[in-house]
Amino acid sequence: MTSSPLLVDIAFWFFGVMSVVTGWLVFRTDSMVRASFFLLASFLNVGVLLLLMRSEYLSLILILMMAGEMAIMAIFMLMFMMNPAGLNPMNMVHQHRAAVAGGIAAFVALAGIGLVARFPDRPARPQPVTEALGKELLGDSMLVFESAGTALLATMVAAIALASSRGRYGSAYEGSDAPPLDPDTRTADAPAEPEPDEHEGHAGMEGMAGMDHGGDGGGDGGEGMAGMDHSGMDHRGMDHGRGS
Amino acid sequence: MSVTPAWAAVAGVAGAVGAGVYIAAVADRAVGATVAGERGRAGRALGGPFRAAALWLVQGRATTERPDARAWALAPALYLGLAAVAVSVVPLTRNVTAVDVDAGLVLFGAAQALAVIPVFPNGWSSNSMLPLIGAFRFIAEALSYEMPNLLALLSVSVPASSLALGDIVTSQHHLWNVVRIPLGLPLFLFAGAGLAFWGPVDLPDGADLGGGTQAETSGAHLLAWTTGRLAMLFAISAMGAAAFLGGWLGPVLPGAAWMIVKTVALLVVLVSSRHLVARVRPERYVVISWAVLIPLALVNVIVAAAVSL
Repeated sequence: MTSSPLLVDIAFWFFGVMSVVTGWLVFRTDSMVRASFFLLASFLNVGVLLLLMRSEYLSLILILMMAGEMAIMAIFMLMFMMNPAGLNPMNMVHQHRAAVAGGIAAFVALAGIGLVARFPDRPARPQPVTEALGKELLGDSMLVFESAGTALLATMVAAIALASSRGRYGSAYEGSDAPPLDPDTRTADAPAEPEPDEHEGHAGMEGMAGMDHGGDGGGDGGEGMAGMDHSGMDHRGMDHGRGS
Repeated sequence: MSVTPAWAAVAGVAGAVGAGVYIAAVADRAVGATVAGERGRAGRALGGPFRAAALWLVQGRATTERPDARAWALAPALYLGLAAVAVSVVPLTRNVTAVDVDAGLVLFGAAQALAVIPVFPNGWSSNSMLPLIGAFRFIAEALSYEMPNLLALLSVSVPASSLALGDIVTSQHHLWNVVRIPLGLPLFLFAGAGLAFWGPVDLPDGADLGGGTQAETSGAHLLAWTTGRLAMLFAISAMGAAAFLGGWLGPVLPGAAWMIVKTVALLVVLVSSRHLVARVRPERYVVISWAVLIPLALVNVIVAAAVSL
């Protein structure tokens, strides 16, 4: 891959500036979803900078990983937030003083490193980077990366065990009944039962954990969504989005 | 490595994607008509895509209450663009590749993984219930497609000892990967259909959600979205042909003809699945993927390593 140095310089400045601008937009937008995608755009621009340094494989693997990662992160943020489906506008900036102080400190530290550090002034000679990377991963750095990999695998297994429908808390669908067709009954399966209303506030949380959400939430809002879902897909899926 | 002029590469990819989308649309109509028992209407299938495109273009665009108009408009463009990126790394013949990079396989994987992203705004931005459910469903299941897809794709790099697609095709000189690594192609196609949400694994845009993320789209937007989906199917077929069916290798015919024949064959298989195979339920697919497909894909990688010893 041969390119003229001018083109590389133009690309460097374009993608560098774009990564900063999209990073800034993360805090200027009013939506969690848009913020996640701006953050993804910022990372992708950094990925292109890696490409300009001729680390083709690292750049592509960064882009590949970030794509799935940011999508999943966005979903997790939305799940744990009291902002149904991320559709309501919200402020993305909090704790202004601490944030400003932290930002200035981080900028000074990084700029200081940039001023003090000695950067190589010769371009690296072209070599098979991917091969060198593979040798490094299976050579000197093997212990570090394999340990990290095993730890991550254990975390994944544990997370799946917790989230699985047949996980440690039993079946996720136990106690979940079809919603009532008649507003006077609690559920379609069982007749109305008097029940204390104190759990009503936790309906969203319980729905999210997949435990017993049909029992005390039969009469609240969002039945349009829940009703459609139950008729088509047997108690599963998106029925946690009940109105709040 | 021959240096292709940039304009030729762009024109070649655009032409290939256009032809692939047209063939996929014709195949979809022809197979659909055959399955439905209509006969003697080949002309309708050939002209059908143009009629549909013209209808969508003259249709007005319906909109919803307070959509995120910019993200919504960007989604189909991004998806189509990523499909084109995926097509660009696949070699047509030994010397003709639009983007000839050493890590072509990883670039293809990155384009596929990134293609998950536009599906979410396509549903989320319309501020409407069914598209929203489709969008969340797709992200929730994205890993269940990506993992078997990427693992199946990676298995072909083991016998070739390379991530460059030219080397991968050349390594199949004696035996195609579809025979040498038999689990690879079915896994790759099935999970690839999931990434392009087509046929039995059309979960975000499925009929059970009234069209899912595209339920509120119409007119030119729907045309662009449909084009993008067919282009992604074409990219998967082209990669399947190069990685598993020996690419340009074959007797008598010139290499490019073999590559086109193999790609079109896989494309027809993928497109037909919509008319021939029942849709799986979303939650069942996740279980199938993690309990069956991903372990099989890992076994497939081990098989690939064993046969290339």
